[in-house]
Amino acid sequence: MADVTYLDARRLHVDALDAETADVALAMDEDAFRGFYDRTSRALWGYLSRISGDRQVADDLLQECYYRLLKSSVPFESEAHRRNYLYRIATNLVHDSRRGARPLFVEGIDVAEVAAPRGTADAEQRTDVRRAMGRLKPRERALLWLAYAQGSSHAEIAGVLGVKTGSIKLLLFRARRKLAALLQP
Amino acid sequence: MKTPTDAEIEAIVAEAIAAEASCAHAEAQPPSSAIVWWRAQMRARQEAAQFAEKPITIVHALSIAAGAGLMLSLVGYAVAGVKGLSAWATALWQSTAAAMTALPATLSGGWFPMMATAMLISALVVSIAAYVIFADE
Repeated sequence: MADVTYLDARRLHVDALDAETADVALAMDEDAFRGFYDRTSRALWGYLSRISGDRQVADDLLQECYYRLLKSSVPFESEAHRRNYLYRIATNLVHDSRRGARPLFVEGIDVAEVAAPRGTADAEQRTDVRRAMGRLKPRERALLWLAYAQGSSHAEIAGVLGVKTGSIKLLLFRARRKLAALLQP
Repeated sequence: MKTPTDAEIEAIVAEAIAAEASCAHAEAQPPSSAIVWWRAQMRARQEAAQFAEKPITIVHALSIAAGAGLMLSLVGYAVAGVKGLSAWATALWQSTAAAMTALPATLSGGWFPMMATAMLISALVVSIAAYVIFADE
């Protein structure tokens, strides 16, 4: 019988581990994931960048959101259920990234605003919207974005933000008024 | 100035956020799905390998802790031994000093000269006997 060195045994162990974990680690198969990612990644990036106020944070958190979704053992009933779960992960990650980090909005001016194109009326209007959103609370930004950019229902927003469905109407009302006041010249 | 109605406020907000959303959609440059899938696979494998190696790490940690405990107990034992030795040496020194102090009194006592004389005679007898024995040979 041939001698088996420690390195051989170690290599065999790692190979066996790779073979064992290659198929069971992630909950979705590749095709399903890639389709879901292609349908949702741009919108999710927009949500992350506008809620955090930082494009770099959005870039960093995007991969993490999908990884946590893939590692989750939640039995999704539909694509909408999966998407809402993804947005819930994103909301929690943005919330966590704010702890101990530098302020994402400084005096209402965010990183995205600095890089925005200037010189046109549209660009100036977008800058105003970003500045106004930067003055909202993170939860208010998320509420408005989910309602008007994503078109989510009150129940879906409540699921993403972890609040009662019955309180969404009032929270949205207040956030709308606040943003409108900030947008007025 | 006329206060906007709720419907007007909703229209203003909806329009502003929709415009911002379309701008964000155009700005977004997420990595390709293939890259994200590959990174997720690699990370999942790495985490699984770390999880599988955890018991080995625990055993290593336990053995290191046991070794450290053994070393500490040996050091403690050695320190106690040194302390005991020094106490013994101190006691020996003290008893020797006490004996030296009491020596003159002992030498002037009754039994010491007798014992010394007996030893001297014994040594003399042994020397003569040895001479007689080896002289014949």
